[in-house]
Amino acid sequence: MNKNKYLLMVSSIGVFLLLAIAAVSENFLKEWQGIQSNARSTEGPIGIRLRQINNPSLNETDRCVTCHVGMAPGEQIVSRQKVAAAHKPVVHSPTEMGCTVCHGGQGQATEKEDAHGTVHFWTEPMLPAKYAYASCGTCHTPLNVPNLPTLTAARKTFERLDCYACHRVDGRGGTLRPGGNVTGMEGPDLSHVGLKGYNPDWYTAHLERSRQSDGAWKSVFGEISDEDRASLKIFLDIQMGAPRLIEAKAQFNTLGCAGCHAVGSFGGDAGVNLSLSGFKDPNQLNFANVSGERTLSNWIVQHFRSPASAVAGSQMPALGLSDEQIDLLTLYTLSLRRRSLPDIYLPKDRVKAMRFGSREFASDGETIYTAVCTSCHGNNGQGTRWAGLSPNPSITSPDFLALASDDFLFQTIKAGRPGRPMLPWGDRENGFNADEIRSLVAYIRKLGGNIQAEPDSRPRIWATGDPNIGAALFASNCSGCHGTTGGGGEGPALGNKAFLANVTDTYLTGTITRGRRGTIMQGFSYPSPIRRVLTPAEIEAIVVYLRTLNAK
Amino acid sequence: MKAEGYSAMHEFWGNLRSIPNHVYRAVFRGGPPKTDRTRSSFIFGNVFLHLHSVRTHLWSLRWSTTMGLGIMTTAAFLITLVTGILLMFYYKPYTDVAYQSIKDIHFIVPTGRLIRNIHRWAANLMVVAVILHMARAFYTASYRKPREFNWFIGWGLLVTTLGLSFTGYLLPWDQLAYWAITIGANIAQSPREITDAIGITSWFDIGGLQREILLGSDRVGAEALIRFYLLHVMLLPLMLAGLMAVHFWRIRKDGGLAKPEHADERVIDEAKEFYPVFTDVPNKTYHLAAVVKGKTPQVGSGPEHTVPSMPHLFYAELGVLMLTTLICVGLAFMSDAPLKELANPMVPENPAKAPWYFLGLQEIVSFSAFMGGIGIPMLCIVGLGLIPFLDREKKGTGEWFGGPGGWKLVKWSMVFGFGVSIAVEAFAIRFGWLREWLPDIPQMIITFVNPGTVITLCFAIYSIWSVRRYNSTRAGALALFTCFLCGFIVLTVIGTYFRGPNWNFYWSPADWGGH
Repeated sequence: MNKNKYLLMVSSIGVFLLLAIAAVSENFLKEWQGIQSNARSTEGPIGIRLRQINNPSLNETDRCVTCHVGMAPGEQIVSRQKVAAAHKPVVHSPTEMGCTVCHGGQGQATEKEDAHGTVHFWTEPMLPAKYAYASCGTCHTPLNVPNLPTLTAARKTFERLDCYACHRVDGRGGTLRPGGNVTGMEGPDLSHVGLKGYNPDWYTAHLERSRQSDGAWKSVFGEISDEDRASLKIFLDIQMGAPRLIEAKAQFNTLGCAGCHAVGSFGGDAGVNLSLSGFKDPNQLNFANVSGERTLSNWIVQHFRSPASAVAGSQMPALGLSDEQIDLLTLYTLSLRRRSLPDIYLPKDRVKAMRFGSREFASDGETIYTAVCTSCHGNNGQGTRWAGLSPNPSITSPDFLALASDDFLFQTIKAGRPGRPMLPWGDRENGFNADEIRSLVAYIRKLGGNIQAEPDSRPRIWATGDPNIGAALFASNCSGCHGTTGGGGEGPALGNKAFLANVTDTYLTGTITRGRRGTIMQGFSYPSPIRRVLTPAEIEAIVVYLRTLNAK
Repeated sequence: MKAEGYSAMHEFWGNLRSIPNHVYRAVFRGGPPKTDRTRSSFIFGNVFLHLHSVRTHLWSLRWSTTMGLGIMTTAAFLITLVTGILLMFYYKPYTDVAYQSIKDIHFIVPTGRLIRNIHRWAANLMVVAVILHMARAFYTASYRKPREFNWFIGWGLLVTTLGLSFTGYLLPWDQLAYWAITIGANIAQSPREITDAIGITSWFDIGGLQREILLGSDRVGAEALIRFYLLHVMLLPLMLAGLMAVHFWRIRKDGGLAKPEHADERVIDEAKEFYPVFTDVPNKTYHLAAVVKGKTPQVGSGPEHTVPSMPHLFYAELGVLMLTTLICVGLAFMSDAPLKELANPMVPENPAKAPWYFLGLQEIVSFSAFMGGIGIPMLCIVGLGLIPFLDREKKGTGEWFGGPGGWKLVKWSMVFGFGVSIAVEAFAIRFGWLREWLPDIPQMIITFVNPGTVITLCFAIYSIWSVRRYNSTRAGALALFTCFLCGFIVLTVIGTYFRGPNWNFYWSPADWGGH
């Protein structure tokens, strides 16, 4: 029976050893204890203890400062350890807001891997430095962001007019003159005026001052054209201390992403809702084709390169984006990480977006077009054809614009085409208002070379003829592209109720007669070697037949 | 009347001086356990130790007899008890702080992570050990008369152990916990499949009721957490402790561990090492013990092949206790208990999986909620409970794989059990099941004809065949129990390792992908 004794002895010794090791390593050999014992403040060695920033209203307990001890409240670390360095000055004090609200990672952890979130059971690792501005999206929702060309132009205007001479924006400009403010030359820092607001009469005030005073003011400030002032307004309205995020959002607003994807309460529904896509769980993603580390940002980059390689069966076409575009879009996607906040921490922009449905993109016709319509109708409204998807029509064809009245365009945008990819952009939650649609119509005209619709004095429905003849003609001439009952195919769906409820007979006869240049739709009044010419009466009969499709 | 020359002061000083001596004698009343007699009184004078018999048969001390599995289960329970109480100092059972408190235990409570890891590993080990212990008791035919009742108690202990482990699963309030309990609660709701099929759910919703009783609400929320907490730290441990006391007491009352007929002859070599050391004349006879029914080692066979439980049995028991502790602490060093992100009802885990010991159930639940969640488990539980009454033969008691058929039958039953469950599963995974072929088929048919029931039916037929083949109920039991274990293993392994998002089959979790 001695073997039982040995069993008891050996396992007891084993347990004792393990517990002893645990007691020592858990209490004396922690990484942070080493860091703190090497750190020196102005008063010599610092106390070795756990440190944390606790913000109950953000529900945060960030122990990052246990290692990054230079960022702990009240610590002045002078020793040259990189880890113990102080935080660079930023808008939000880390000692109040904590660390994870911006940087992500696991605040409660006290070990590097856990804290930086690279462990398997923590799904949200820290944001890579390259995409650091994405974290602003945790609380903020930048509003009225224009598209990228407009943004670039606005920045250039600000630069060209040499506003940087007196004003500082995001750490640039506002040259400090000897003697500080003595000369009265320095303007205020404009980095956050988009959030904090600014005097809308600044121009008049500046001009007044330059007229009244001598010296520097007089020589520096002069009149600014209306166009440039509009551009400056755009620039000022988006200053929130996160230039890269604004740029990323502008990129998003340039590629028509919202045509398929919703963010917040606005956007299409063909693609997934992106509202929380900065919070995706990497453990649930397919990394088979992703090079580099298994991080969300790497996955998003790969997704933009080739959507189908990241999500099997994805409908999203490969957009052929440049590396810079991908970088910006990745930053923007990562910024979609809104979390619920206590009221005192709700920024104004977020309240406006959440509670009042304010637009996240500027509501001029051009930005609306690039933010929503581009992806289907193309940069210049020329239409698109993505592999595997049905073609999207051109909306700037001169033949189309000559026949489509403003009202037709308005109604089409407002009510869309039920059952087709074209959504009712006016008649939906947080949809476009009448002014927005009107400016969009105007922009489409502008894109098409300002071709206005021909005046049409006839009533909306005037064509007469035998629908049976029309049906026969439709079957032999039109159904190949438009579908046997007008359901659409290569050509648009002519049987669509919203279309028929809106379109005029003038438009229909005109289109059939003249066709659309640059498409397979040739005018049926012109002779052709492959089909016969239709007479005006026959064309009217087809239109009459089309009207009957409405009832079906 | 005081004696002449008595001085109370003197006596007081004397008492004061001899306090250590008197305290020692008050605690160790029988003196040092040096002789068999003092060793015996050491045991029956102690409320806890007297659950043991005073002397232990050498057969019971063989490692091959029990493999220490029962003690290992007990040891695992004691470890979870100690570590669990330590965890309770820091754990807060409220949904808004539960997760944070676990994180704090993990990160800043000194050795908190280790304690939690030990708790987790001991809990898993306990589930494994209790199942193996049941298998041991079954394969050595130790459930037979007079031990039927103790088999019952053991069955209760198995269920309570699973309950303890399951209720503990929710407490971290992370994604893993939340969705595992959601799955568990949905399994409880599975009778709805039947009530839905016959259209009586609106007024007789036994499934919904079960779920609501389990969760205290219609979803996994604050009520469920506090309920699970109470069950986990109080009700179930108390129940388990009570059942354990009865379980141990019954071992003693039923004549110790089951032994084969000729156990005495077979331990003769070992017995030679031990000599009775009755240096004192026993002042207690064994006649009182003879009042107890059954064959006790003391009465039936004399003391030759028994040894004093103190210290021989205790060496073995403490040895297994420390070995179990070593295993748990060692595993705790190697692997951390999982803690995923905070529970979020809006973001379902895909796949959401129940705790591993329920994944076999979840696998058959994926075919039919009712059969997987209620039908087949009830069949297994009732079947397990009734084993001692269905096999009342005598042959082979106390022997591993004892009885007609023996190891050979068990071996072939393993082949059959693994074969059938793998084959049926493979078929269902490769070709689908009725719903894939006939989309409009009534759910009732699938409820009764699905891979789970097919496997069960094959096992039943095979066991009945074994009863006839060996003309023995024990053979049938051996076949059925072996098949049950094999099916449990196969389904659990498939559920654990080969089921991914949407419960689809994957060769490896690396292929899960997803969006």
